[in-house]
Amino acid sequence: MTASNANGARARLGGLLGRGGDRPPRYSAGALARKGLTGEAWPRVWQDHDLKKTYDVIIIGAGVHGLATAYYLATNHGITNVAVLDKGYVGGGGSGRNTAIVRSNYLTPEGVAFYDRSLDLYNSMAADLNINVMFSERGHMTLAHTDSALRTMHWRAEVNKLQGINSSVIGPDEVKGLAPSLDTTSHPRYPILGALYHPPGGIIRHDAVNWGYARGADHLGVEIHQKTEVYDILVQGGELAEGKGAGGKVTGVRTNRGDISAPIVVNCTAGWGSLISAMAGVRLPITTHPLEAAVTEPVKVFLPTVVVSGSLHVYVSQTDRGELVFGASVDPLNTYSMRGSLSFTEELAGHILELMPSVSKMRLLRQWAGLCDMTPDYSPIMGFTPVEGHLTDVGWGTYGFKAGPVSGETMAECIATNTTPKLIEPFKLERFNDGTLVGEKGAAAVGH
Amino acid sequence: MLLVPCPHCGPRNQSDLRLVGESHSRPNPNTATREEWGSYLYLRDNPADWLTETWYCRAGCRQFFKLERNTATNEFRNPPMPGDKIGIAPYTTIDVGSSGNQAGANADGGATFTRRMDGGEK
Repeated sequence: MTASNANGARARLGGLLGRGGDRPPRYSAGALARKGLTGEAWPRVWQDHDLKKTYDVIIIGAGVHGLATAYYLATNHGITNVAVLDKGYVGGGGSGRNTAIVRSNYLTPEGVAFYDRSLDLYNSMAADLNINVMFSERGHMTLAHTDSALRTMHWRAEVNKLQGINSSVIGPDEVKGLAPSLDTTSHPRYPILGALYHPPGGIIRHDAVNWGYARGADHLGVEIHQKTEVYDILVQGGELAEGKGAGGKVTGVRTNRGDISAPIVVNCTAGWGSLISAMAGVRLPITTHPLEAAVTEPVKVFLPTVVVSGSLHVYVSQTDRGELVFGASVDPLNTYSMRGSLSFTEELAGHILELMPSVSKMRLLRQWAGLCDMTPDYSPIMGFTPVEGHLTDVGWGTYGFKAGPVSGETMAECIATNTTPKLIEPFKLERFNDGTLVGEKGAAAVGH
Repeated sequence: MLLVPCPHCGPRNQSDLRLVGESHSRPNPNTATREEWGSYLYLRDNPADWLTETWYCRAGCRQFFKLERNTATNEFRNPPMPGDKIGIAPYTTIDVGSSGNQAGANADGGATFTRRMDGGEK
């Protein structure tokens, strides 16, 4: 923590002095004007490398979790002989498909502590990584449509206040004041009775977060290998076939570009997490479900906050470009297929119109889906597994993006110190044998 | 939305059915270790491939049955025919009383009940 703060301070100082020091070429208004006028090319943000034979740490999955882990390994712990492998491209999975909402008004003390740290890291990210992540701290409203929902909101608000999180319950008039386009009359089938208002929540540009971590990690010596698919994880001494399974020890991975040896292999592959850990002989309590989202044509800004409705299974925010971004709950069917469905669009449109009748003439531009790695208790699976050297940072389900920075920080600590940090202790894989599940009912913004 | 081949009702909308989940055989609760029970309750194969699952036709015949589905493409194969006893586990007596108590004997307060289990070998 101190190291990262020091690093951030150094980066900011470097920016003030107009030179990057040991940082990559800096993005600034001056550089933009100069390169705009001269047509000079920007340097590559991260480099391609040949695969080395051996690394200290291999991270599978170049999304926000994998890249943040690599970045904090390099900055906080000085471990730079790290390879981040991805079968696709940087931020091509859930990290680039989410609806980019960040908040920390969770329900369990474990969850609140965790996301509050994540929000802190998001707040200082632009300065730390010298990239405009366009963090818009615009406030986050979770609407209550029933008495029981309102009671839960009060509960969450009280838990949050105890943890020092800015979160309170507001009435329909205040809701109307914050977002005039919402229908707060008694006409709808699910009238708005109040909301849990969380001012520090907001939206952030998810691609910039991925690129910022990739750029920062690359400059510190981490190698990012795109289009490098892992076929197998090599394990010795385990109880299953080929030495895999409990009691085994990781020796490396087999990829489409050859074998690499490494004592530590970290699984940061979200929806594909079950398949990757199965290569090491570790079964996970995960099922993969697609979550669909959609975006409209851009219009003038009219929705100043993030609006979430649990009862209507929808969340909506307006981007800086003016598009409305919608998301819903996960599809009930577990599948690796990311095809969109008409039933999603129909339900979404119906629910949005119930909330905001005035957007009925807006047109959807496109819809897409991302894969969510759902666990039985909606909490992640972080840290060590029965196979020595195989660590997981999966099971994030519908809210992995919010947790990206703090997961990277704690996973890096876990790898570097070979002990489980206190913040992620509740999320260990053994909890499914012990029965100590962490029921995070505030996990997704919408119902499960 | 998928068309799900119900063995009794024919192809039906996915919303008419509930996907119960991966089919796994249930360990004997009297003898299972903590790890076996934890695995049965929580661990899943979750393959991107063919998978045998249990479905419940909630808006139609209200029967449980097994179907093979490819989770990468969402195709079904070899759907069961009406009358197939696929996936219907036999009634099994579970002894939840003190160990050593005979199933069915209730002498020292051990309760005995029967329930239909979803699971077992196909």
